[in-house]
Amino acid sequence: MIEVERLSKHYHSVKAVDRVGFSVGRGEIVGLLGPNGAGKTTTMRMLTTYLVPTSGRAVLSGHDVLDEPLEVRKKVGYLPENVPLYPEMRVREYLSYRAKLKDVPSSKRRRAIDGVLEKCKLADVESRVLGHLSKGYRQRVGLAEAMVHDPDVLVLDEPTAGLDPMQIREVRALIRELGNQHTILISTHIMSEVEAVCGRVIMIVKGKVALDDRLDQIQERGAIVLEARGPLAAIRQALEATPGVTRVGVTDHQGDVARFEVLTQGGADLREQLAGRVVQNGWSLRLLDLQKSSLEERFVRAVREASFAPDDLTETETEAA
Amino acid sequence: MRHVPTLLRRELSAYFLGPMAFLILLAFQAIALMNFWQLVDDLSRSGQSFSGLRDPLNAYISGSLPFWIGLLVAVPVLTMRLVAEERRSGTIEPLLTAPVTEAEVVVSKWLAGFVMYLVLLLPFALYLPFLYYQGNYRFDLGPVVALGIGLASIGLMLVAIGLFFSSLTRNQIISAVLTFATVFLLIFVTRAAYTFAQFRRASWAEAMEFVSIIDQVNTFGSGQLDLRFLVVHLSVAVPLLYLTAKVLEYRREV
Repeated sequence: MIEVERLSKHYHSVKAVDRVGFSVGRGEIVGLLGPNGAGKTTTMRMLTTYLVPTSGRAVLSGHDVLDEPLEVRKKVGYLPENVPLYPEMRVREYLSYRAKLKDVPSSKRRRAIDGVLEKCKLADVESRVLGHLSKGYRQRVGLAEAMVHDPDVLVLDEPTAGLDPMQIREVRALIRELGNQHTILISTHIMSEVEAVCGRVIMIVKGKVALDDRLDQIQERGAIVLEARGPLAAIRQALEATPGVTRVGVTDHQGDVARFEVLTQGGADLREQLAGRVVQNGWSLRLLDLQKSSLEERFVRAVREASFAPDDLTETETEAA
Repeated sequence: MRHVPTLLRRELSAYFLGPMAFLILLAFQAIALMNFWQLVDDLSRSGQSFSGLRDPLNAYISGSLPFWIGLLVAVPVLTMRLVAEERRSGTIEPLLTAPVTEAEVVVSKWLAGFVMYLVLLLPFALYLPFLYYQGNYRFDLGPVVALGIGLASIGLMLVAIGLFFSSLTRNQIISAVLTFATVFLLIFVTRAAYTFAQFRRASWAEAMEFVSIIDQVNTFGSGQLDLRFLVVHLSVAVPLLYLTAKVLEYRREV
């Protein structure tokens, strides 16, 4: 449904989106996760043909965003950030106007509008003026508008931003329900949102894809937490030398007690081997635990890794020059 | 261009759902009433010869300073929000991600502005039948038709100018000031330059007379439907519309 290859957007010297690539299959709900300013909105704007990519390719529902922008627009429903609406129009009037623009045939228009009004629970405000609606209702009008032409793909930019907890629950439930019929790409910087609605997560940090994985696999792949008493550097070296270990991080260090976080290849459970190493060297093992990694940990890790990436250093150097 | 009726309807309803259009309509209604009063007053003083009254329509419209000042204010006010407001409020994003082309958007906004311009001039036309039937003053109908076509053609140009400036910025005030300055140039500066050139017997006087909107309206009002003027207006309007569409397209690149 969505195929993105090496998609980039540069604003002068700033790389807002840098060679992003991913693909989303039919019926998937994918969360586009990233800190503010990571390039989520820019990516979505390129997918919805609002912006033209500097380089790269994006194909939605079989149509290239550069070659056939109008075809792409017909197949995509888009909820922009902050849901810009014409304040003077009424809810039904606005949906009817948008349905006409989106070429919903007049015979089906009424039913389509009634359908989205019902799905988004807007029936009781259908004759209210948009400018007088609360944030929650505006968001729902935006959603209704995005799907009034029954698009293959829904692109939702922060659909729950600014809503109260009850409204967030409702919108999330609605999105889950929509996932049965549409391919959905949601951007957010809220972890729990991704956990609540998405099957897959794509993390974008500093304009690059930092992680692209199924949610259940992320949660499966854990880290081993190990606390030992002894010389920090030596323990760390010993842990790193264990076959299968990909990374060792020090999470806490007090006196001669240190706590490590050990990542293993494919999330293998190496607890016994690690314990063996520690004990063999004569250090005392105080704690050993296999922790399921949460999305939040992966997120923080991805952001940290990206901010120490060598690419980033060269970029700041050139900026300074 | 099949989305134009839908887009045009929204633009027009946006005009009438805000207070600005009504204020300007009211002002033009007042100007039309005043001018008509003046016209009837002048016509009823028989015996006195006013040079302008040989072309009563020119005394009614093109010779009226309030009309020109009204137009100078109305055109920027009517056109300033067309694109700038969509940019400021962000509604341009859903607009340009719907399956409509930039050309459709530009043409609809231009037509909406033009319709509003015609609505402004409507009061002037509405008074004339009273003079004709009620006042039993049988003026020639030819000049009225020529004047109507001429003013409409000028409107196509002025609205295109305002629309173009509106597309350049998200700030309506900037758009209005730029349009105001341009329209001022076309109405008053060209007229002043023509008078000056004529006084100095300069060779460019004729050129100034040709581009001066007031003199164009005088020509139309005296019954000459000079097609060269229509060509001038369209040759300003059409490239500006093209540029406006290009501005909207360019915005996707940056």
